[in-house]
Amino acid sequence: MTVPTVMDKDRLAAFVDGELSPEEAAEIVIHLADHPGDQVYVDDLMAANEALAQAFDAPLQEPVPDPIREAIMKSPQADTIVPFRRRPLAVVSAGLALAASVALAAVLLPELQRGSPERIVALGPVPQGSQLNDMLGTLSSGVPVTLDGGEDVMILATLPVENGFCRELEVVDAAKDRLDFGIACHDSDGWTVEVMLSEPLSNADLEDGFVTASGAEVQSLQPFLERLGAGPALDAEAEAEAMAQGWVR
Amino acid sequence: MSDQFKKDLVGLVPRLRRFALSLTGNQADADDLVQSACVKALKHEAQFRPGSRMDSWMYRIVQTLWIDDHRRAKSRGTQVDAEDAGLSDGGRAARLPEDRMMLARAQEAMAALPEKQRTVLSLVAIEGLSYKETAQVLNLPLGTVMSRLSRAREALLPQLGMTKGPMQ
Repeated sequence: MTVPTVMDKDRLAAFVDGELSPEEAAEIVIHLADHPGDQVYVDDLMAANEALAQAFDAPLQEPVPDPIREAIMKSPQADTIVPFRRRPLAVVSAGLALAASVALAAVLLPELQRGSPERIVALGPVPQGSQLNDMLGTLSSGVPVTLDGGEDVMILATLPVENGFCRELEVVDAAKDRLDFGIACHDSDGWTVEVMLSEPLSNADLEDGFVTASGAEVQSLQPFLERLGAGPALDAEAEAEAMAQGWVR
Repeated sequence: MSDQFKKDLVGLVPRLRRFALSLTGNQADADDLVQSACVKALKHEAQFRPGSRMDSWMYRIVQTLWIDDHRRAKSRGTQVDAEDAGLSDGGRAARLPEDRMMLARAQEAMAALPEKQRTVLSLVAIEGLSYKETAQVLNLPLGTVMSRLSRAREALLPQLGMTKGPMQ
């Protein structure tokens, strides 16, 4: 529907948006009294503004999500921030079935396949009492942690799967020029690193990436995640609940 | 990095999440965007001039990151989840069914706008910035802000079942 009007619509919009001086606004009010077409348009603009404000106001009623709050309050000094990112170049999978499902142009790294002992993340069961086990069990997604060895670690997301939960994590080891990405899944025996991806840190486009609160999609891992029946990344509340339940579904 | 800077940033998060939600159309992407923006702000704190408006600075960072993400993920398109996107309560806070429908339509109409128009409309109509402030955030001439706003409303109003605008 188009309503015949007299006044320029941008001026009417400026009135609705509070852009006019009190004197100009008063003139518009007087004008509207004699021009119902303009009044209808102004009413519609006000209603549209109100609808937009209401449609997106949920965040104002909610507390600041923990991952965001922690990312801010626990952030290290600016010059030591590690911009985590996720764009794997190489992949190693723990099982043949998993490996077959990961369609990547893989560059297999020998030390990864052997599960080099000095690495924070290595394929296979995660030892009880290890730093990695503690982090997988208790660290919220999006919270960066610097280990004693200088590696920066972050859990990127928690994904519900058919038999439990999987958690995506990334390790940045600047000293060794390594960036590792892993997926560890929890079952009755504890955590197991199922997939590991790695690339030289110097190859990573660090300026372009930031860790995500919900876990950005790694397209090449999608078949693997689908096979596990992985759902969308848990929000902070659901993740905290899963953590409290001991990662048992 | 000062604690006050961090506290001020946390205080801005609800508004940044609202702005990001209006851009992305769903809360998960909005939170990713806000978190990325906060990380970037912390990294570049030295670029923030004390005494200037942190909200405008943050709006700009959010918008810039969103544009970058949007370009990278253009093939995915914007997804609007009516339950997740607009209101975490699925619109139940809106008392009348027609109110809920209106909110859903508003979300869909926003998602359908070109990104530049959506950004301007969000800053003006949702965040309440003046045209001049919006122009400063987006580093645009005032006239460009007004023209994008006008075109956004031309497209939006019919989607909401309202007049397309005055017939001049």
